[in-house]
Amino acid sequence: MSGMHLSREFFELIKSIGESKSKQEEDRIIINEIAVLKKKLENDKPGSITTSIPGAPGGGVATGGNTLTTNKKKAREFLVRVLYVEMLGHDGSFGYIKAVELAASQSIVHKRTGYMVCACCLSPDHPFRFMLVNQMQRDLVSSNLLESCGALIAVTNLITPDLVGTVSSQVIGLLDHSAETVRKKAIVALHRLHQLSPDAVPQQEVIEKTRKMLCDRDPAVMGSTLNVIEALARVNVQPFKDLVPSLISILKQICERRLPSEYDYHRIPAPWMQMKIVRILSVIGKNDIQASEGMYEILGDCLRKAEEAGINASNAIVYECIRCITVIYPNPVLLDAAGNSISRFLSSRSQNLRYLGVTGLASIVERHPKYAADHQLAVIECLEDKDDTLLRKTLDLLYRMTNPVNVEFITDRLLHFLRGSTDPYLKKDLTGKICTIAERYAPNNGWYVRTVTELFKIAGDLVDPAVATNLMSLVAEGTGNEDADDEADMLLRKQAVELYVTLLASAPNRMNRVLVETLAWVLGEYGYLSSIMPLDAIIDGMCKLLQSGNTAKLGGGAPSTRRLILSAIMKMVSQYGNCPAAAAKVIDDYTKSSDPDAQKRCLEFQTLLTTAPHMLGEVFPVDASLEDVDVDENLSFLNGLVSEAISSGARPYQRPEDDDDDDMYVGGSLSSETASTFKVTPYEKPTTTYGQGRMAGMGSTNMGPGGNANVTLPPGSGGTSQAAVTPSLPITPAQPQLMMRNVANVWGKQQPPPPPASTPAPVSTPASSGYRGFGAPAPSSYGGFGASSPVPAPAAPVKTAEQLEKERLAAALFGGISTTSQPPPPPPAAVTPQILTAASITPAATPVVAAPISAPAPPVTAPAPAAAAPAPEIDLLDMGSWGADPGPVATAAPSTLDMLAPTPLIQETVAAPPPAAPPAPPAPVPAPASVDPFADAGLLDGYTESAPLPSFGSSDTLGSAKFEFGGVAVAPLVITTPQFGERWGRCPATHPVNVPSSSSASTLSKFMALCERAGLHKVEEIPATNEGIAACMADGGSAVALVHGKVSPLPGGQQSRVDITVKSTDAQLGGTLAMYLQNMIR
Amino acid sequence: MIKGIIIVNNSGKPRLVKFYQNVFGEERQQSVIRRVFQQVSTRPDSFCNYLEGSVPEWGENIKLIYRHYATLYFVFAVDAQESDLGILDLIQVFVEALDKRFANVCELDLIFHSDKVHYILDEIVMGGMVLETNINSILQAINDQERMHNDSMRKAGPSDSVDTISTKLGAGRNW
Repeated sequence: MSGMHLSREFFELIKSIGESKSKQEEDRIIINEIAVLKKKLENDKPGSITTSIPGAPGGGVATGGNTLTTNKKKAREFLVRVLYVEMLGHDGSFGYIKAVELAASQSIVHKRTGYMVCACCLSPDHPFRFMLVNQMQRDLVSSNLLESCGALIAVTNLITPDLVGTVSSQVIGLLDHSAETVRKKAIVALHRLHQLSPDAVPQQEVIEKTRKMLCDRDPAVMGSTLNVIEALARVNVQPFKDLVPSLISILKQICERRLPSEYDYHRIPAPWMQMKIVRILSVIGKNDIQASEGMYEILGDCLRKAEEAGINASNAIVYECIRCITVIYPNPVLLDAAGNSISRFLSSRSQNLRYLGVTGLASIVERHPKYAADHQLAVIECLEDKDDTLLRKTLDLLYRMTNPVNVEFITDRLLHFLRGSTDPYLKKDLTGKICTIAERYAPNNGWYVRTVTELFKIAGDLVDPAVATNLMSLVAEGTGNEDADDEADMLLRKQAVELYVTLLASAPNRMNRVLVETLAWVLGEYGYLSSIMPLDAIIDGMCKLLQSGNTAKLGGGAPSTRRLILSAIMKMVSQYGNCPAAAAKVIDDYTKSSDPDAQKRCLEFQTLLTTAPHMLGEVFPVDASLEDVDVDENLSFLNGLVSEAISSGARPYQRPEDDDDDDMYVGGSLSSETASTFKVTPYEKPTTTYGQGRMAGMGSTNMGPGGNANVTLPPGSGGTSQAAVTPSLPITPAQPQLMMRNVANVWGKQQPPPPPASTPAPVSTPASSGYRGFGAPAPSSYGGFGASSPVPAPAAPVKTAEQLEKERLAAALFGGISTTSQPPPPPPAAVTPQILTAASITPAATPVVAAPISAPAPPVTAPAPAAAAPAPEIDLLDMGSWGADPGPVATAAPSTLDMLAPTPLIQETVAAPPPAAPPAPPAPVPAPASVDPFADAGLLDGYTESAPLPSFGSSDTLGSAKFEFGGVAVAPLVITTPQFGERWGRCPATHPVNVPSSSSASTLSKFMALCERAGLHKVEEIPATNEGIAACMADGGSAVALVHGKVSPLPGGQQSRVDITVKSTDAQLGGTLAMYLQNMIR
Repeated sequence: MIKGIIIVNNSGKPRLVKFYQNVFGEERQQSVIRRVFQQVSTRPDSFCNYLEGSVPEWGENIKLIYRHYATLYFVFAVDAQESDLGILDLIQVFVEALDKRFANVCELDLIFHSDKVHYILDEIVMGGMVLETNINSILQAINDQERMHNDSMRKAGPSDSVDTISTKLGAGRNW
């Protein structure tokens, strides 16, 4: 038959399609064709059938009167044309019904055309499939074997899982059909039905039938059954294990040419059957010594015979033998033979054989590396090949060949190809491989850092974030050996720093996110090690990086990346000891950032910079990312304070009964009010993106003005801790007031400050034992405070073992690298440390503030700790709870020193206390005239004046600008005093601040004016009590902040003190506003 | 298994498309064809006949094994279960069968006789499994079918309308 039976029309169509120059033109032609076909279908409507004019017998001349229904030839052409339309991507669904009709035709050819078009065009859920089931059922049992065959093919193509049951019994029946051509199709069809619906056609049944069909008298049936066996054995090999002898026997017969010669292909006996059997043997022989040993001989024979033939068809068998030999239990003789064959492939001029040679080598070298050595040259040649497929295979081979000796070379190569590659799959694959071998075989740490950095440069977007974390922890930890030389570690850091400094200088605008973040962290931590660029230049570079358009382009990660860079700048400013103008400007810019986190961060840093620049070193400790921070989770250091407060009349804290945030309180059975005094619910964590969590851990906790220098939190808590920290930051000196304000309504007179909690101070002996507990491993670390103290832990939070384990794991995993850690662990685990941290930071602040004062003093005695701060120290150390012994109260004083003085001094101090004790008793009594028992105001003031930071002259800017939250200026909230009072109680977040005022707010009116400048509405000013209230709102009123200020003149001076309480519906808003006001007043 | 077979000419026009693992929707099928063509057409004939990578519609680790004859690419997309060289030879068998059937097969034959091309393919690959590799058996099955078709046409007589009638009446004729 020729194309004669097709109409001229179709011929013209194909011709014009072939000549069409563009897709548009082609589409136009096809749309036209669809219109023609639809017209044909319309003419076919039952009503339009008139008479059918007989055509020439057996001829193909379709005459005009014939309809699709009457002329099957025409119908067939119609369907071929529909198929063509579909193949070109157009919708031919209008013609499907004709295909279903044709499937019911008498003629086998027409019938199969109908089935075939249905199989190609009908989607699996198409209702027509269901219409065909009946027809298929009938055809399956047809007496005509060709119809049965057609139906079997249709079944494999058209049956959907839910229809399997309708045909499965007929298909099984056909396994015993007398014609081999039916049997061989039936077994494949049965396997297909099993794949579609294992329930309707159980595995057991298929396996049984398959085993039976393997022994079919016709080799063709066996041939197709072998394919089914391989597919089944790959799913479950067990039922076929005992087939090894049968398979070997079949293979032997084939090899010995016992099959009829019609099965030869290019004079090779049944090559596909040989291949299949060898493949099945490899599946069975894998991890099975016994089965493997049984097949050695035949594999050797098969391989040898195929090698002898040396033509393409036999090479296929050789290749399958190689694969099999490398997979089954190894046999040295066979492996050598396989090695030889691989050599032949590799040295072949056929590209296909070289490809197979490389693939074969890759499969053999993993377990038998010695074979790689023979082919080095051939492999290098393949590497230089232009053929991408061969190249990829060779790269895969290299990856498998990697060992500690060649890792540098191979990584170089892989990086080289990665650089030139555009295929996303290849890039991803290569990136993963490079990470793996670099980690597994890195010859030294310096190389690892360079390699991974290079990888970041090329494909940072594809790298697993964990790789960056590993890199940073490596830089931080070095060799990780306790006894390893620090010099090597320092050298590594220096190398890393200089690598990144060079990068920063050379290509600041072409770095991707992971590279920028890693760079920022490394330079932030160790920038001072750079010898090729001064630190201030690095800071400048980072500022430029921050402001560059590139950082803005970093997509979704931009905010967290910016925060990381900010953090790095702050750390380096601290290392540098001075704030370069560029950094000051950047930080000032970001105090108005629309990112609340960055804004807060910068405000805190500004505050720190203006008030206590000498503390930078402690807030940003050098090389302390690995220091663990012990957190006193029980807040036991507050016990004394609380009991004092209670004994002086304060109401014990009652947990709200309707508190539905029980889980926030770590355990239901908090016996002590201490822990639960802190209302933690409001301080919701804003978001927990990966970057943010990381960021928070990195900076904010470290830089709390509270000065708890070494609080490197367990990473999980990092993200949230900042929110919790915020309220307590500015108010450290007034700590006792915090609780009072929280408990009682503050509106009105201030609560009298509780007496210092030093009364039940312990004797010095327990104190000295405590030192060891604190025994800050690094002199600058205050981190050791609470948790290490041998407190009786009155209110041990009830934690599940699981939680503890999680925390321990998190600490173990991220402890070394907490500043760059992973996203927070699940909330329940994270909540606890975060709350506690917030609490522990606050008291810790006092000693830090006091440090410069008391440290220089001779350590022997506390030279009358003046008004300054014995009480908090005592709380911290929780001496009150140590001893019932109401020993010399004065211990408080030395303890202050202990905390702050370097370790040797501490020892002296320990020895000294007893003599020093007598003068001390009055110390705890607050300075009579001062409202604040700790009179820390004086201390702070001193700092402000003695250490102004020259380059940080932004207070003017601050003073004139309106307060902005989230990048938008707040709006005045116009309310009356009663309304204010009503709202006051409802605001969940409280942020008390007290500031020794400069002239900007020395009187109440000045303070109120200042509030108004900041954008607040002055609600009322009460000169009688020197109190004033103001209010503002942000986010169009969704967040409200209320400010209460009280200006108290300090005794005997020009100075006055401003106590501010900011209450807010939004913790973040309140915190930043409090901070802002504090800055303005200064 | 064989996931799909695509024959496409040098300018990217599909000549035969057969999916054994369903790819739903015209658009996705077209995108598979385009992707496959883009990948094979950029490779000179001197390169090897394998393309590793991934066709998203079929999943990862799909290997394209193809042969280039004059104006046509014959592309088989297979998973790891198929033998690399075996499939290459199978393509040769397919082409040889086409050649014998159409006496010097050319591109136009594939379009005009796309149904017959499918029948030949159905004798070689069934449901993604290699069914038969013996070229004589393949051609035998095709010839039987056509002989029977012609017989039935002759039996049906000169009139096409008789064919129609027998279809309607003949539901019980064979069984």
